[in-house]
Amino acid sequence: MAQVAGIGLRAPHLAEIARDRPATGCLEIHAENYLGASPARQAIERLRESYVFSVHAVGLSLGSADGLDADHLARVAALVKRLEPAYVSDHLSWSVHGGRYFNDLLPLPYTEEALDVVVRNVGRLQEALGRQVSIENPSCYLAFAHSTLTEPEFLAELARRSGCGLLLDINNIVVTAHNLRLDPRNWLSGLPDEAITEYHLAGHAVNDCDGEPMLIDDHGSRVGPEAWTLFDTALRRYGVRPTLIEWDTDIPALSVLLDEAAKADRAIRSASPDAARAA
Amino acid sequence: MPLALPDLQAAFAAHVANDVAGGDRADLAAAVVGDTISAEARLRVYRHHVAHSLSAALAATFPTVQALVGEGFFRGLAQSFVAEALPAQPVLAEYGADFPAFVGAYEPGRALPYLADIARLDWALNVAFHSPKGRRLAAADLAGIAAERLPSLSVALSAGAALIRSRYPIHRIWHASQPDTSANTVDLDAGQADLLVLRRSDDAAFIVLDAGEVAFMVSLAAGTSLEVAAGQAASAEPAFDLSAAFARLLSLEAFAALQ
Amino acid sequence: MTNTRIAIASALAAALVLPVAVQAQGNTEKCYGISKAGKNDCQTATSSCAGTSKKDAQTDAWLSVPKGACEKIVGGSLASKK
Repeated sequence: MAQVAGIGLRAPHLAEIARDRPATGCLEIHAENYLGASPARQAIERLRESYVFSVHAVGLSLGSADGLDADHLARVAALVKRLEPAYVSDHLSWSVHGGRYFNDLLPLPYTEEALDVVVRNVGRLQEALGRQVSIENPSCYLAFAHSTLTEPEFLAELARRSGCGLLLDINNIVVTAHNLRLDPRNWLSGLPDEAITEYHLAGHAVNDCDGEPMLIDDHGSRVGPEAWTLFDTALRRYGVRPTLIEWDTDIPALSVLLDEAAKADRAIRSASPDAARAA
Repeated sequence: MPLALPDLQAAFAAHVANDVAGGDRADLAAAVVGDTISAEARLRVYRHHVAHSLSAALAATFPTVQALVGEGFFRGLAQSFVAEALPAQPVLAEYGADFPAFVGAYEPGRALPYLADIARLDWALNVAFHSPKGRRLAAADLAGIAAERLPSLSVALSAGAALIRSRYPIHRIWHASQPDTSANTVDLDAGQADLLVLRRSDDAAFIVLDAGEVAFMVSLAAGTSLEVAAGQAASAEPAFDLSAAFARLLSLEAFAALQ
Repeated sequence: MTNTRIAIASALAAALVLPVAVQAQGNTEKCYGISKAGKNDCQTATSSCAGTSKKDAQTDAWLSVPKGACEKIVGGSLASKK
């Protein structure tokens, strides 16, 4: 069967991938690393003939009440036009305020007010790109007391109103559910399956926080057992989607990432033999 | 009355940026659900990540500075800079233009007077790497021009090129700071360094210029003609060999194609 | 044309036909290849920092002494600047 699972492409592996062109389902890049006309971007452009690409932005700040940064939006749009990737995504979060960029996926209150903001910003993004984008659930370390919607309710309504897709980060569900005392299976149960476009898988760390464990989304290890179990649940409930292994801290050898992707493919085959064959 | 989203984001931004004014607003903590892990502790996860991840981004842009001072010292240096100047936009490769000046003024680094120049070199390499290749001037492009017209030509440096001049031997210091280096010690009194940083096809690189070459390039970078630049170079270095220097710089693709 | 200008013109013209010297590239230091670190990622935190400790890492690191390759840099200018 064709491989469904791919990997997040990280700079330390770029030369090896360009040389060996290993088989994998998809390559995902972070948009913000390729906005300049560097030799790295030239290398990516040369890989387009061999791979399906996903452009994953981390800095559009779709949750900003102040709206989107027009300059950054234009640069991301130019990259998307250049690469014509199969998928484009960013997060349900914000990272810019008052002309300062925080380099973090900051949390939103899940309210009608915030929903209006995100629907408007995602609409503007989709208009600028001329295509659908997918929005990813973030890892959360806190919840706001005045939220009136759950995160999955918010995402479902966002997809309905904006027409965006949903990128389900399985590890982020595990992390958020643990940190906010939620049931991950329950989190996963009520999403509009037609809106789901991709899955992400990654590892997390466990930190001590006031004497209690807090899960930290560090993308620094192999996918953990809870995430594999929840991935299986998602596959059985919503079916197969393009799936990515992400690894950002203590980046290992490329073979380790490809091995995790192969493991994801085995999970896909065992959960949904027919769909996997069709994919 | 819950905080409206613009107010909430302003308060949250002030918190993660650790702003002196408004960095710990009580209404922000009150808006966050606390349990056995307090609202304040939960908020701190974000504040710590902002400081730490941006200092890690600076370490990736200024690897030679970090190699020289070590991770612990660099973290203090970088986090002091982050506290003063957060990025103005999301592309982290474009964050840190003001870092070399900050390094130069950083009191705990005073014993390393060459550190700011090393930061300038790291920054120039980073800028060169992310610059478009652009069209370069080749000897063949000039072959059709009558020789007597060549002196009045102005040629610009290629996209991403930069001149880094230091009173310290920063090329040797750079060498001694590489992970796989075999260099042992560098004598700071070994003299100054004039470096030309270039964007090449597959990487960024630097070369060492001699006194004539650097005067030639400084003049051209200021927009003078080749004739004026040649005069400047000859004044700086009486033995300046214009043919050899121009041929070398052309072969390095140091100039932009003529407009 | 002055003699100087004629000399410059012929030196520049001569440069165009000089064989590209292999040694011209010889002292070039390659610094940033395509494997140079990408800086933007979407990790939300790293385990080393993401503690919730009230102490910011900055406070003690600020006092630390440089400890790295700088130990290889020696010479009079160092002492005189102190």
